[in-house]
Amino acid sequence: MLGDSRSVKTLVLKFCLSVVSGIGLFSGFASSAGATSDDYSIIANVQNQTLVDGSTSRAPVAGVAVTVTKTDGTKIGEGITDETGLITIGVPSRDDYLISIDTSTLPDDLTLIDADKASVSIPKDLFTTNTKRVTFFTGEGASSGATELERILQRLADGIRLGIIIAMCSVGLSLVFGTTGLTNFAHGEMVTFGGLMAFFFNVTLEIPILISGPVVIVLGGLFGLLFNWGIFARLTKRGIGLISQLVVTVGLSIMLRNIYLFQFGGRTKQLSSYSKQVNIEIGPIGITPRDLTTAILGVIILVGVALFLQRSRLGKAIRAVSDNVQLASATGIDTRKVIKVVWFAGGALAATGAIFRGLDEQVSFSMGSDLLFLMFAGITLGGLGSAFGALLGGFFIGIFVEMSSLVVPSELKVAPALFILIIVLIVRPQGILGKSQRVG
Amino acid sequence: MDWNQIFQNTVRAAVGVDAIYFAIAALGLNVQFGYTGLVNFGQAAFMACGSYGLGMTAQYFGVGLWWGIPLGIVFVIILALIVGIPTLRLRADYLAIVTIATAEIVRMFVRSVTFNDIFGGTDGIRNFSREYRELNPFNPGSTYGFAPFTFSGYTLITVLVGWTLIAIFALLVWQLMRSPWGRVIKGIREDEDAVRSLGKNVYAYKMQSLIIGGIIGMFAGMLLSLDRGSVQPDNYSRDVTFYVLTALVLGGLAKVSGSIVGSMLFWILFVLSDNILREITRNGPLRIGDFTLIQSTQVGAVNYMFVGLGLMLLMTYRPQGLFGNRKEMALDGR
Repeated sequence: MLGDSRSVKTLVLKFCLSVVSGIGLFSGFASSAGATSDDYSIIANVQNQTLVDGSTSRAPVAGVAVTVTKTDGTKIGEGITDETGLITIGVPSRDDYLISIDTSTLPDDLTLIDADKASVSIPKDLFTTNTKRVTFFTGEGASSGATELERILQRLADGIRLGIIIAMCSVGLSLVFGTTGLTNFAHGEMVTFGGLMAFFFNVTLEIPILISGPVVIVLGGLFGLLFNWGIFARLTKRGIGLISQLVVTVGLSIMLRNIYLFQFGGRTKQLSSYSKQVNIEIGPIGITPRDLTTAILGVIILVGVALFLQRSRLGKAIRAVSDNVQLASATGIDTRKVIKVVWFAGGALAATGAIFRGLDEQVSFSMGSDLLFLMFAGITLGGLGSAFGALLGGFFIGIFVEMSSLVVPSELKVAPALFILIIVLIVRPQGILGKSQRVG
Repeated sequence: MDWNQIFQNTVRAAVGVDAIYFAIAALGLNVQFGYTGLVNFGQAAFMACGSYGLGMTAQYFGVGLWWGIPLGIVFVIILALIVGIPTLRLRADYLAIVTIATAEIVRMFVRSVTFNDIFGGTDGIRNFSREYRELNPFNPGSTYGFAPFTFSGYTLITVLVGWTLIAIFALLVWQLMRSPWGRVIKGIREDEDAVRSLGKNVYAYKMQSLIIGGIIGMFAGMLLSLDRGSVQPDNYSRDVTFYVLTALVLGGLAKVSGSIVGSMLFWILFVLSDNILREITRNGPLRIGDFTLIQSTQVGAVNYMFVGLGLMLLMTYRPQGLFGNRKEMALDGR
């Protein structure tokens, strides 16, 4: 299929058409924000969380006193939650507020899960609409009572899942670099494309992810081909240098991300398949069957990719081209075809990673670009241009990031990845699996 | 549609604060990217250095606001060393990767809850610019100038200071690039190995260029936070660097005037697009039949879509910018 460039072109053309028609349908769920009233209000919601058979169930808590103050302490309003656990408090304008609940008015047997969260500050930027909802959770915290070892194992399990996703997403980034020399800053948008397409099929068209997943993966691959056919192959033909092409990828990234924002809106949304799951306990680790399945599937895919690169003729050709384009070309390898395969495979793997990520977390217009830095850290660690390096490096970075949240605050957990990136570049800039060669 | 108002907004944008801080940031980026060939994708972090330098001086050290400048320079040098030491010996794309990553991490740190006491979290730092305001000879409440160039006294001081800074830095960059130092810098862009073979310490020159460009960029951040009266972490997101880059490419790389003209043009086009789209969507979404083409909440995304598209097209068809000289545009000389 990929060998014949004419069939590739027709495929791409068909794909373009399907994307265009897709966008038409897509706009069906484009954000419907824009409230009518000019009044601003804050809705406080108090919910009690209980763990029943491993799944969380929530019940409203009534009769809790809530106050809204400005950041300088002046009181704006107060109220008491009703049977649904809700209280709406009007505020004069879009501004910074502090919402606090009086913990002494909670029923005697309930306490806040996170005692520090008795008051929550709302910066004015958070008023995307005229109402802002704040939820307070009471009940037994999910992580309470876990021992140190359990916490480490739980982080490790989370890290492996993240590592699989990063490894999968970054193979394409590394191989494109290896075969064409292009550092693709729009690779994050290839990942996002997969996530949004999964959302489109799964939620908008209500097709289960098991059926729509393969379609999304193929679409992701075609999207990669479209990058090459529509832009980068042409730029190379025009003789535009790699640094200029790198700047083009930056422009492409901005453009695509804003197209996604335009169509999808700024919020994160959930895929519908397997969204409600109950943890099963494997020893000390709690994991949902969905996450367990994706982890196992992910490992299978990654091993498959490695075997493909190691054993198959095409895989060997890919590695040869990413090793040395001229030499590979001289031995009769069709480098243009290999580059197409790499873009297709990279896009398909990015889409696969995005589906897993979407199931794992949620789908948003920036889900891919948020991962881009970790992908770069991974492939630099593994060796820029090396496929195995991307697999290993990405996997390691995922685990490292999750594990480091044991030591550093979780909001800063990706910061240590930068540390790794810098250390690798100082000590061994070609990466673990890179050839010892001049990269300067 | 109120074309007169749109016209006025657009013309004012060409000389307003946004164009000014873009021009200063672009001058800095031009030293690094245009003249030296260093792909710095973290100019926003250098701008943040200036901003937080000012804010923190006033907040914690109780000395005059102007001590923020040396503090900002210290921040810039530290940041330049962090991104420069591992990457300046390597191929250009490594610097791009590390700067973009570092800029993200810097923003993550300054807006984190953990360091709330130092950097003020997502709220940033406020109430630090009193000294600057007191220097303002204009009445903040009244309006000065003639249409379309009308500014409140509050903004006018920043506009004047800004254009003075632009003039100073433009002169500085112009003189620097005519100096022997500048010739080495441009030589590095064209052929690093040739410069090295002449016995020049390429690594040191690159680091100097990174720091000088960073310090110029720092003033852009300072000016922005003085104008807004707050130091806000989200003013320094990753994309800010790319918008500045777009402005720079638009005006022409490796030209002093390119940074300034490019920034003015960027804001003219941006404000024009923004105003027109907002006017169109003001009375509800624009529809063709049942198909909603665009609604007011989507205007921002469309503007930035144009920015991205513009950057791609410029880089492909007019890499020398609208007024640049193609011979100077030798990013891929190596």
